[in-house]
Amino acid sequence: MKPYALRALIAVVVSLLLGGMTIAAAAGTALQSIEPSTISLGGSAQLSITSIGSDMPAITPPMVPGLEFLAVGQSQQVQIINGVTSSKSTVTYQVIPQQAGVFSIPSALPGAEPVVLTVTRGSGSVPGGSAQGGSVQGGSVQGGQAQPSSSLPAESTRQGASGAAFVRLRLAKHELYVGEMVPVDIQVGARDGMVASLNGPPALNGDAFTLSKLPENPSRSEEVIDGKPFIVFTWHTALVAVKPGTLTLTMDTPLTVRVRTPGRPDAGFFSGSGFEDLFNDPAFQNFFGTSTQRDVTVSSAPETFTVLELPAEGRPADFSGAVGKFSVSSDLSQDKAGEGDPITLRMHVSGEGDFERVSSSMLHDVDGWKTYTPIVNFKPDDEIGYRGEKIFEQPVISIQAGKRTVPEVTFSWFDPTTRRYEQAHTEPLTVAITPAPAGSSVAGGATAATSPTADLAGNEAVPTWRPDHPDNGGGRTSSLMPHYFQPAFMTVPPLVVIALSTVWFWMRRGERSAERARVEPYMMPPSVESLAGELGEYAAARNAQSFFGAARKALCGMLALKWGVTPPEVTTDEVVSRLGSDSEITRAFMLADEAAYSTLKLTPADFQRWQRIVLRNVDSEMPS
Amino acid sequence: MSTLRLAGSLAAVVLGLGLCGGELLAQTPVDAQPAAPADYSAARLYNSANAYARSGNTALAVLAYERARVLAPTDPDLRSNLRRVRESAGLPAGSGSWLQEYGRFASPNTLYWIGIAGLVLGGVCLLARRRHARFRGALLAGAVIGFAAVGASAFNAAATFSVLSESISLRQAPASVSPVAGADPLFQVPAAATVRVLDRHGGFELIRDSQGREGWVAASDLAPLIPDAADRT
Repeated sequence: MKPYALRALIAVVVSLLLGGMTIAAAAGTALQSIEPSTISLGGSAQLSITSIGSDMPAITPPMVPGLEFLAVGQSQQVQIINGVTSSKSTVTYQVIPQQAGVFSIPSALPGAEPVVLTVTRGSGSVPGGSAQGGSVQGGSVQGGQAQPSSSLPAESTRQGASGAAFVRLRLAKHELYVGEMVPVDIQVGARDGMVASLNGPPALNGDAFTLSKLPENPSRSEEVIDGKPFIVFTWHTALVAVKPGTLTLTMDTPLTVRVRTPGRPDAGFFSGSGFEDLFNDPAFQNFFGTSTQRDVTVSSAPETFTVLELPAEGRPADFSGAVGKFSVSSDLSQDKAGEGDPITLRMHVSGEGDFERVSSSMLHDVDGWKTYTPIVNFKPDDEIGYRGEKIFEQPVISIQAGKRTVPEVTFSWFDPTTRRYEQAHTEPLTVAITPAPAGSSVAGGATAATSPTADLAGNEAVPTWRPDHPDNGGGRTSSLMPHYFQPAFMTVPPLVVIALSTVWFWMRRGERSAERARVEPYMMPPSVESLAGELGEYAAARNAQSFFGAARKALCGMLALKWGVTPPEVTTDEVVSRLGSDSEITRAFMLADEAAYSTLKLTPADFQRWQRIVLRNVDSEMPS
Repeated sequence: MSTLRLAGSLAAVVLGLGLCGGELLAQTPVDAQPAAPADYSAARLYNSANAYARSGNTALAVLAYERARVLAPTDPDLRSNLRRVRESAGLPAGSGSWLQEYGRFASPNTLYWIGIAGLVLGGVCLLARRRHARFRGALLAGAVIGFAAVGASAFNAAATFSVLSESISLRQAPASVSPVAGADPLFQVPAAATVRVLDRHGGFELIRDSQGREGWVAASDLAPLIPDAADRT
């Protein structure tokens, strides 16, 4: 078959099919069913959309976050009974879940009822037992242009995934304080037929902000941008800045888009023929498999914020981090009570802001009152908890009878509108306390000791959330890396050790020099000539004591210099240990000791011999 | 006496240089990230962690608490809130060994300088003891105190060392048998869990969890406790 003939045949078939669908949907009813209605994650279900009548409108696959729809086929039955023609067209989609939950699939045709698909995690039950994040309840698509759901100004729309989708933020202000909560609308627009599925809710990019919990059911609307229809999912939530500075915020959304495959007949035979639009239609591509699916992440245009730090000036002592606009009131559960009976003191903090930061410990250590840890309840006035009322309920017990006054309670917050801290005081409240019956354990102030952190049952209280710390700008560091492990700081201990070692070495050297200077006088030996004269003089007089005394002094000086010790340290024992007992010098020392402590008689020849020995040793060892 | 004066002067100069160097270093951003200028304080990290915890982001809350704990390990509020967040996430409240529990008893940066001061004190006392026999007892006591400070600093350094290799899992992530995409998973690492990084390969990190199990996890699923430690370890 010739190529142009094949193209012509395809065009005719497509024309017939679409024409048939159009004819069939002209009138009649629509049905929508899913089989099975409960599946496990990893399985799939079959969604059938049936139009009974003579005309079939164009169908676009439903779009439900968390579900993926794949067109698997269509069928058409035409019956002619007694000349009356009826048509039944069915389009079938394979539904593949990407997360567990209960999903409401909106009606794809007017008149059809939405169907519900339950996706379990394995053989278990659906977490939470109700609709999960990403499901769309209700499902009816409103026609026409999308109307802004709040007073938030519209922001620029940056399309991603080749124009198939966009993420944008709508928020009222770009200058905020740390801890200030700002409502924000996050909108994800998906081009009709080009986005197969949203694979998760939008997520913050970066750690400078935190986002309140996203609603499970985003609102759904239609919007036409540059002539192209988009289905817009809107999550109404709130943003809180967690650190100061000029910060940029973007949101990411994972989704699956359909991408046209190459080889599409966008030129040639059908070029400019009117069929080109037909082939470019996403529904056509979805039906006839000319597209593939690809997971992409679409990001919003960066939004720049100026986040200011809360001022340190004027910060009340009881400020616990609340930022917003609040009003405070209080009341008592009853105006009469018996002595020892608990009364509930309630403080109502209402307004708008981040109520997670609204905290109070209420009354502490009040004379005549026993106070307990307050219980906190929050009643939001909107979906995101931006407006509402937080109620602190503190049980208190009077330990004295009579007309008693519950003191005022203070609450402080920072108002970003006035840019200053505000402090509210509740009115003191009075209550009549009747005395306890005689013999009661509470009578007479038996329970005077207060226990601020015990609960009414006497158990240890559940630890309360500890409040924020004032950040006065101190203790800043450029790196979390401890100094121990930073190379520059690691050099300091060795430097200290080197410095101390240098000092020690210098001190040691100085000490040795001083020692040398101290002993040097001892070490100045007489000249050999004078020593010879001295010894000769004592020998002539046959004075052995003086002879060996002079010899010993000369030898001591010589040996001290040689050994690096002081002359007094050169004892006979030292000489024996160093030179041995057979040495001439040792024997000279022994004779000197003998001469000193006894009568030693030597012959003239002995004097001459020892004179020679001493002079020879002194002469040979003394430095020149 | 002049020797002692010289030793004292030298020690003062060294300590001064060290302090000045430390200050200069502290003013120089080590990890230059233009988008997030490095400017940490325990209060700021703690407040951020509280904000994350309030918004339900447990993983980032634990990460910020743990980072704050590096700077202020004994802060009772921090420990209380961290324990509470961990318990709410089904994670063990305690983290680490005996050494980590007892060794991190003060700010590591403060203890670092105490250790340096102790080293100087101990050294100077020992040197002075050679010269001044009359004060030998006092100088010995000074040396003991100085070297005790060094010991305390070393103990703290040993206890703090482990945080260099710790990371927090940002989300529940599979730990796989090998560092490639699509590898067989061994177990799941829960969000906000503290794990020890043993090795790195490509975009994966070999981790060991609190139960001693090891597996490869995508690096994008983990955040190091010390932001600039990954490049240094």
